[in-house]
Amino acid sequence: MTQQLLSWLDERLDLSALQHFVSEKSVPVHRHSVWYYMGGITLFLVGVQVFTGILLLLYYRPSAGEAYESVKFIVSQVEFGWLIRNVHSWSANLLIFMAFVHLFSTLFLRSYRKPRELTWVTGVLLLFVMMGFGFSGYLLPWNELAFFATKVGTGIAGAVPGIGHFLLRFLRGGDDVTGATLTRFYGIHVAVLPATMTAILGLHLLFIQRQGMSVPPSVERREKAGEKIPQIPFVPHYVLHDVMWWYVALAVLAALALFLPWELGKKADAFAAVPPGIRPEWYFLAMFQVLKLLPAHIVGLEGEMLGVLGFSLAALVLLVLPFLDRGAGEGRSSPLVTVAGVAALVYMVVFTIYGYLAA
Amino acid sequence: MRPVIVRTVLFQALALAVFAVSAEAQQPAAATGCQTCHASQQSATLATPARDFAVTDVHRERGFSCVDCHGGDPAASDKAAAKAPSTGFRGKPTGALIIAVCSRCHSDAALMRKYAPKQRVDQAAEYATSVHGQQLAKGDTKVATCVSCHGAHGVRPVGDAQSPVYPLNVAATCTKCHADPERMKGYQRAGAPLPTDQRERYEKSVHHKAMVDRNDLSAPTCNDCHGNHGAAPPGVDAIANVCGTCHTVFATKFALSTHSLIFERGCVECHSNHDIAQPSDAMLGTGKEALCGTCHSEGDNGFKAAAAMRSGIDTLKASIGLSQEQIDGVENAGMDMADQALTLREAGNHLTRARTEMHAFDPKLVDAVVSEGMGLTAKVDAAAAAARNEVSYRRTGLAISLAFIVLVVVALQLKIRSLERSTSGSRL
Repeated sequence: MTQQLLSWLDERLDLSALQHFVSEKSVPVHRHSVWYYMGGITLFLVGVQVFTGILLLLYYRPSAGEAYESVKFIVSQVEFGWLIRNVHSWSANLLIFMAFVHLFSTLFLRSYRKPRELTWVTGVLLLFVMMGFGFSGYLLPWNELAFFATKVGTGIAGAVPGIGHFLLRFLRGGDDVTGATLTRFYGIHVAVLPATMTAILGLHLLFIQRQGMSVPPSVERREKAGEKIPQIPFVPHYVLHDVMWWYVALAVLAALALFLPWELGKKADAFAAVPPGIRPEWYFLAMFQVLKLLPAHIVGLEGEMLGVLGFSLAALVLLVLPFLDRGAGEGRSSPLVTVAGVAALVYMVVFTIYGYLAA
Repeated sequence: MRPVIVRTVLFQALALAVFAVSAEAQQPAAATGCQTCHASQQSATLATPARDFAVTDVHRERGFSCVDCHGGDPAASDKAAAKAPSTGFRGKPTGALIIAVCSRCHSDAALMRKYAPKQRVDQAAEYATSVHGQQLAKGDTKVATCVSCHGAHGVRPVGDAQSPVYPLNVAATCTKCHADPERMKGYQRAGAPLPTDQRERYEKSVHHKAMVDRNDLSAPTCNDCHGNHGAAPPGVDAIANVCGTCHTVFATKFALSTHSLIFERGCVECHSNHDIAQPSDAMLGTGKEALCGTCHSEGDNGFKAAAAMRSGIDTLKASIGLSQEQIDGVENAGMDMADQALTLREAGNHLTRARTEMHAFDPKLVDAVVSEGMGLTAKVDAAAAAARNEVSYRRTGLAISLAFIVLVVVALQLKIRSLERSTSGSRL
């Protein structure tokens, strides 16, 4: 039956080229191979997000008057709604965590070097889109913490020089965080960002399939010296490894969803006093903490504005890193990138912990 | 006409005209000759009133000046001419004259309507009924008059936080005199000297705590129980009514009780007066801290009623505590118990109602409310038990799922190894 279907399709679509590509595709095996799976886990979590997100859409109502109640209904009344919502919340966080792990492993293994610059650029863009998902999704339950954190977050966007005021009003749908902000964030979360992500992710995966897996410079040097680097077939060996890791991620998600349920908190009230401990999601915390520590004015300029400019510059540097570190593509070592990568990692860990302790 | 009479008539006409103009305009009064001259005096007694009046004074801001209370001729440049008897100069009013001067405007409804239409105009009449007013009528000039509480110069509206009669400042204002043993010497009530520790005791009270710590300006201070202009100690038969002004439900229940016929000092019998402490369940019952034992003894009906009411309240309180623990337990496990928390809050309301009902001192009334409350806690307990079962079901489901996942992971690992073994010889 399957064979008949494949023949039928082959007759019309000429699948032989694809079959040939799949059967010929292989993945190198070396002591850093484990990092290859980080991208796969991230992709799996994206799938989990899409699946659980669609299920949540069936009951979620995006208005200031109903959002909180609808999420409450999902976790308390809908059959397995609690599981879907908890998995969606946890998976969102694990997804960004894995995206960072994937990014740093790619950075330290210099996988961005020529000819994979565009794979890196699309990957960094995907990270930004995922952070956008996190920021917009955080507000959707319309609870107190999310409401005030969004107020602070969009306020920071207002500090961008020149376009700050426009950006703030664009994000909020007015001067303040209101129901208009919620519907706007909902639209961004379920339509704009998914469409953007699908396009970029498609390119990212296309580039990877087209160029194959990168090997670290040390392995590449051995290969150039004539050593034969072992390979495993993509199908079924690598795919089975990938699936095994996905199952591990699924087990972690299920356990987190049950034992550490994501709190819903109190319903947002614009007239309530700002509750203590307002802070953004953990992946924005390091940046938020720095902005908090900056003095009001630095050499006559607004401290917050300079901070936002600094982070924007860092994001730009990250995006175009392969074009700044051209030496990596030519086989030259680039210790500066390693130092900067370690410094960024240490900064993120230290300031995130500091942010939690200081709140 | 004789020149003196003419001058007097002319001056009075002028004063009336000035008064009328200032009253109509309601503009702050310009500095007069009185202020200019007094403000420059070396003597603080002479200078301070003028300076205080110039800085802030509700009367000056409405267009009134020195002459409206003190008389005199503010236009005269000579001191003797300004204070000549023909100018109506009355100097510093004291005693009953103060009441007369203030009430000339404050008891005039037509005039007050222009400035403060909602303000009462019966202060002088009330004052006459107060202990202060009655003592003054007897010739005792030590007692408080208008200026003792409101000030004379630099008078601020009652709603001004710096006014001595602003709720937060009333206790300090009253006890300027009432906490001074020297000043209060000789005053008696019911044959006993008047105490001077009222403020000290009031500051320990739940009312003071509410006002100062929680900034609740509706909490009572001296004048809320004693009256302000008609200040007097509440009579024995009035205490329940005084407390009932705010504690309406308690007063209604108490009025139904036999105690209302027996207690000479009403609410004060159990709750005291100035140092009213936070009431607690310990006040009720037959224990050492309970007040019921003061009059009742083991075996009498009152003793049994006290024990029964306390027991009912304690049972409901304990049941609410246990239900709360159950809710907390299942909430920690991730279950939503918001509806049950609301039901438990309703049970808490029943506990409050039971504590209120006991003021009728009828165990049946308390028992009825307690039973309703216990019905609510039973519902919460049942929901908590169902939620615990759900948690257990979820955990079992997770265990099965995890077992399945682990099985798949192991199977995949075995498959990968077998594939690797079969291709190890032919690795690309």
